[in-house]
Amino acid sequence: MAASDDAGRIDSSLWNVLQLFQGRRFYLMLIGFALMLGFWHLSVEVWRLSRFKEMPGLTEVVREWTSREPSFGISIFTGDYYRDILVSCRRVAISFLVATALGIPFGLLLGWSRKFRGYVFSVFELLRPIPVIAWVPLAILMFNGQETPVIFLVTMSSFFATALNTKLGVESIDQSCIRAARCLGAKPRQVFVHVILPGALPYMFTGLQIGMGCAWFSLVVGEMVAGQFGLGYRINTAYVTVAYPTMVISMLTLGLVGYGSSALIRLLGNALMRWRARELAL
Amino acid sequence: MASKGIGSLIAHRDMNTSASASLVGNPLSMRMHLNPDVVRSIVGVVAFLAIWEIGAHSAQLFASPLPWIGRLPAPEAVMAVWGQLLVQKSYWMDLYLSFLRVSSGFLVALLIGVPYGLLLALNRVAYEVGFPTFEVIRPIPPIAWIPASILFWPTQGLSIGFVIFLGAFFTIVLNVIGGTKSIDRRYFKAATSMGASKLNIFRRVVLPSVLPSIVVGAVVGMGISWEVVIAGELITGGGSASGSGSGIGFFIWNSYVAAGQAAEAKIVVGMISIGIMGYVSSELIRFIGRRVTPWLVVR
Repeated sequence: MAASDDAGRIDSSLWNVLQLFQGRRFYLMLIGFALMLGFWHLSVEVWRLSRFKEMPGLTEVVREWTSREPSFGISIFTGDYYRDILVSCRRVAISFLVATALGIPFGLLLGWSRKFRGYVFSVFELLRPIPVIAWVPLAILMFNGQETPVIFLVTMSSFFATALNTKLGVESIDQSCIRAARCLGAKPRQVFVHVILPGALPYMFTGLQIGMGCAWFSLVVGEMVAGQFGLGYRINTAYVTVAYPTMVISMLTLGLVGYGSSALIRLLGNALMRWRARELAL
Repeated sequence: MASKGIGSLIAHRDMNTSASASLVGNPLSMRMHLNPDVVRSIVGVVAFLAIWEIGAHSAQLFASPLPWIGRLPAPEAVMAVWGQLLVQKSYWMDLYLSFLRVSSGFLVALLIGVPYGLLLALNRVAYEVGFPTFEVIRPIPPIAWIPASILFWPTQGLSIGFVIFLGAFFTIVLNVIGGTKSIDRRYFKAATSMGASKLNIFRRVVLPSVLPSIVVGAVVGMGISWEVVIAGELITGGGSASGSGSGIGFFIWNSYVAAGQAAEAKIVVGMISIGIMGYVSSELIRFIGRRVTPWLVVR
């Protein structure tokens, strides 16, 4: 039964892919990209508008990105490129894991226990309006070394998103579900495991996705100001050393890697919340 | 869709705050005894300040300063520095200039983002041409645009303003699209069958339905704008004239670089000032939002 279901799904997805090339949607999308890239190419390299004088052109960036011997040292064939990606990913991964490991229990407690919320939430709300970016100089002073300040900043920015959304997730649970479980004889621990945790899961994953976005956001600032190596660092260095194509390559790579990491969380969330994926017909 | 997630999230947060506010403001229990939630939050804040105080003085109290919080300036030093700054004109100039950058970038994002989002949401062709490119550019963090923006725009103010615009623009557009797509199709059918013209449908159906999403997008976008303005001012590095004031992010960065007397205290004052400014401007947007969507306010 399950096997035939899977087969049906694969068939339909294949059909979807074929549809993509047949329908006008695909061509309209192509037109969109052609307009964007065409504007970039024409304004920089053909019309040479005065404001775009310093901008690297489309062909220049593509040539540099795919060149075996790039003139500014960064392309898909150089080790430095992959080291920057790895360093950035490693920082985000460490911070994100720490933020998740702290933020989810913290958020669950905030939503679950009124006492804990009373004691802690006011301080949490006092600190939250301060942008994480504003912590940069203080973080450099508080933590020695080059790595810790960046990791601290990234952790903090994704911690707030994760904790807050987990709290909202617990609060979004219908009180009658909790009461029903209690009536059927569930102990508080069982309510927590079987009602609160799965009930908060959708919001939790929204929080994780927002947290991942925040993590990349603050990573760039941390690397630009304090870090060494990494994509944000590369952007800033490329700007300072007038290696403008490298700057654009790093920006585009950041977008790609950031998108990939969000997609990963979305996939994990859909796997953990099959009941929801089915409801939304994903 | 992600935008819907954010939208429902913020809406929920608002509902949540109003619920707790009504819980706190129960006059009967206030008269009899103090609300336990209020007592707890006071205890929490006092404990927080105590830890801060101990951390700041740990070098004198213990043999060596505590890790991490040992480098913090003492709360009373922060207050003293803040007191001095409050009467200085440059401090207010810093706040004013940052606010000016945030509000101009944010307003442009609103003016371009709302029509663009409506266009994408209402016109199929526009959506299919415009949305994929939008989604490709969106994952690049706005901060990563700062160097490119400095290259492109002639003045520092314009380049920071442009990055703020980018930060707020994506959120606003996503929320407008999400809001428009969630309108019940039956409203369109009902309006059409009663003879409404396209313009009429837009004015009477689309605009009022999208307004709450615009407000949500604006609140989130305002938060991002404050993050971005600080990042922009930190990264463009130091600013020109520090005497006349040039932005609160510059103020923090200059205090950090100068590293002189009470540098840490100045940094913390800057951070708190940004927090207050950000909070006030978000509340301002929420207030305006409640005024333009009175039907959502629960009496």
